[in-house]
Amino acid sequence: MNNQQREEYKLLIEGQLPWPQTKNLMSSYKDRDRFFKILEIYQDKVEWDEKILLPIGEHLFIVQKGNQCIVKCTCGHEFGDYRKNWKFQSVLLVRNKVEDLESIYPHSDVCDPSWMEIREFICPGCGTLLEIEACSPGYPITFDFCPDLEGFYREWLNHPL
Amino acid sequence: MTETNSMTAGLRKRLEESEAQLAETGCYDGITTLECRDMDPLKFETIHMKLRAGCVSAREIARRISASPGVREVGEMVAAIYTPEGDAVAISNGIMVHVHTMSRFIKWMIKNDYEHDPGINPGDIFANNDAFIGTVQVPDVMDVVPIFHEGELVGWAGAVCHELEAGGITPGGDVALAQERFGEGLFICAEKIGLNDKIRRDYVIRCERNLRMPIYWILDEQAKVAACFSMRDRVLELIEEVGVDFYKKISKEFIEEGRRTQLARVRQLTVPGTYRSNTFYGHVTKGKPGFQPLGDPDWLYSIPLKMDIKLDGKIVVDFEGAQPWGYHSMNCTPAGMDGGMFVTLTQHMNFEGLVNDGAWLATQLKLPKGTWTNPDSEFCATATSWALLLPAYGAFQRMLSRGFLARGFLEEVFVGQVNSPMIEMGGISQYGKPFGIAHFECAAAGSGALAIKDGLDTAYVGWNPESDMGNIEIWELDMPMVYLGRSILPNSGGAGKYRGGNAFMSTWVINKSPEVRIVTSEHSSRVFDNAGMCGGYPAPTCQKHRVVRNSNIYQRAEQRKPLAHSTGLDQNDLEQFYQGNQQIIEGPHITAPMKEGDIFTHSYNGGGGYGDPLERDPVLVLDDIIQGHSSQVHGERVHGVRFKGSMDDETLEIDFPQTLSTRKRLRTERLQGAVPVMEWYESEKDKVKQGDFSPEVLKMYRAAMDLSEEFAREFRAFWQLENGFTYPEKEQEGMNNE
Ligand SMILES: [Zn+2]
Repeated sequence: MNNQQREEYKLLIEGQLPWPQTKNLMSSYKDRDRFFKILEIYQDKVEWDEKILLPIGEHLFIVQKGNQCIVKCTCGHEFGDYRKNWKFQSVLLVRNKVEDLESIYPHSDVCDPSWMEIREFICPGCGTLLEIEACSPGYPITFDFCPDLEGFYREWLNHPL
Repeated sequence: MTETNSMTAGLRKRLEESEAQLAETGCYDGITTLECRDMDPLKFETIHMKLRAGCVSAREIARRISASPGVREVGEMVAAIYTPEGDAVAISNGIMVHVHTMSRFIKWMIKNDYEHDPGINPGDIFANNDAFIGTVQVPDVMDVVPIFHEGELVGWAGAVCHELEAGGITPGGDVALAQERFGEGLFICAEKIGLNDKIRRDYVIRCERNLRMPIYWILDEQAKVAACFSMRDRVLELIEEVGVDFYKKISKEFIEEGRRTQLARVRQLTVPGTYRSNTFYGHVTKGKPGFQPLGDPDWLYSIPLKMDIKLDGKIVVDFEGAQPWGYHSMNCTPAGMDGGMFVTLTQHMNFEGLVNDGAWLATQLKLPKGTWTNPDSEFCATATSWALLLPAYGAFQRMLSRGFLARGFLEEVFVGQVNSPMIEMGGISQYGKPFGIAHFECAAAGSGALAIKDGLDTAYVGWNPESDMGNIEIWELDMPMVYLGRSILPNSGGAGKYRGGNAFMSTWVINKSPEVRIVTSEHSSRVFDNAGMCGGYPAPTCQKHRVVRNSNIYQRAEQRKPLAHSTGLDQNDLEQFYQGNQQIIEGPHITAPMKEGDIFTHSYNGGGGYGDPLERDPVLVLDDIIQGHSSQVHGERVHGVRFKGSMDDETLEIDFPQTLSTRKRLRTERLQGAVPVMEWYESEKDKVKQGDFSPEVLKMYRAAMDLSEEFAREFRAFWQLENGFTYPEKEQEGMNNE
């Protein structure tokens, strides 16, 4: 990756890439090794050393820690084995009262809390809002993504995990 | 050999062979090598481009024949060329959702032995709008014509327009009140409507006598047939140029190449694994006129989705756990489900390469029988199936986007399409004549956010990548209503680091008409159905209709007093400005007809947000407030931005030090207020076991568990409930319909 491309992807990640360049990225052929280029930039941005294997959210990565693959936040907080839903290791704010809903939906009609609640899954390390579920009371927590990490590295990337 | 009265002997057998070859080789029509492409890749591309250009220009021709603002103004149309077996080779832009639904329609005719009766001959015209044969909903009327070359069937040309009036129980195209097929309007069931290149007069008469606004439908038929003829000419010209055998061969290779491209694209842009999402839809009609006591008037659907991306690049989407179909118009047939998937894929995966049925062949939908996605009764209504399709495929887009994010293609991450309510109406027009129309300014909702920028404001819909709300002046020509305003609906996109696109609201006065029946559909009531991603909030989707009947607007206008152009933000401006009977209506607007001087408002939906709202650039927050995209209160509460100065004297600016400390405090407060998930789980478990939910939620769980062993098993396992646990029906619930 040359410096110009690195700078371009860094700006892309930061949401600062000017629109004409962004549009160009969207419309042109996709670079085949984008994945490793992006990983390199992410790795430079975090302050910890574990090797990033896969981004799975705005702040969450699957990383190599010893012989384990775990979910880790940009802040360094660890959520355990990636094959288990990281949400269970987070902290939760539930909005199931009209006032709590209205406080974040000013001037809008809000959902009926007896039909739907808002669940805010938060990183215990940095207080970042990692994921929101809008679902009925009692709905099981959703496991958004369980990658086939081994298959991905072995067959799609031709790269040892 | 049996005698046939058509020129397509052996067509059904050919279709069966083609399907068998796909099953056997995994390749479309058994094409394991792309000989035409390998021989001359440039010629391969050029010929496909010619066919595609033929589809695009056919659609443009048709738009100029149509009388309907749906087709002329907002482009609710698509045209495509098919193989003899009914697989799409090339398609135009427009409502691409229908490319595969039309494919189903052609295959249905073949499987039902149309080659013998009614026969498939040169000059025939076939039409269909029956979703169980192959379309999405009753207003989506499609026409196909066979293409013969020297007596041999070499393909089909087809076109679909979304009709603005379908002659159903409620006026317009999306017949909201239909609770069974029998209220949905005029059905054309794979019917031969024309011979010798001419639409039959008796068919036109049937349309004239069964529709509120036949001119739209009938001229759209002419437009579609003209488009089909134009594509037919293009194919025959091409055959002259390259020879019929080569055409037959290459047209099929296009599809196989489309299939391979789709698989390759998945392997290039995503990550294999299991993705899950869900969305919800609420419906409220209790006490509204016209509702027949067949099912519950108020109900809640959960729409769970599971997507597996396999190592070969195949996408399998499973709707296991979906709710049963119901006596409402929001059910969907497998054809509609296919269509929703197809139009989403064309936008997300096939931005280069050949877009055709190959993309569809590289995916698989699992639609459990008996659910709204695959009803086991063909009497059920599907007239407003977009109400469930849109949130469902919005969830599909979020799952795909998780894959793009994991693979590093952040520029492709998109929180997705939204469900947005639309307006249908009928009655007496401003010209004193009966009328009916669907108002298609809905084709410009807010989009979900992207991972790198805000969503599009008032400029996106899932079913047509070319979103367009149309000009006010055009709509005013076709309905007895005058716009008082079209305005951005502040805060209507979901909050986030990048917010969802905002929606707009329209306000009208009914003008020069003694009777207008306004019916709205595709509302999600009481729940947010357009979710966010990675910490972004769902868009608020519960806007109510504000209405003033018998208003004094004409008096005010005469006295040159100011008029309200929307409901306003802090108070209801309609109440402040107008005297009259003020009404607030939740969910679908199904009430008594309105008349001259009545004021009506309607809000569309915005998209979900992306990322933590506390990470939003304060400059963007300020900019939104100045532009009217959000309120100051919203910026303060949701984004934690602090301001100096005021909007009133144009001195509003960001207080950066205060913003920093406020955001820090809000994060701390979050952590103080939040509980570990396992703690929440323990306290929630009892509530779940007791079934301590509203009747609609309880019914939703019971229905899903009754219908899906897998959903029941997962639900019980999650909450550690004993084997066989169910929610027994309570007596008082039985008829929720007094
Ligand atoms: Zn963190």
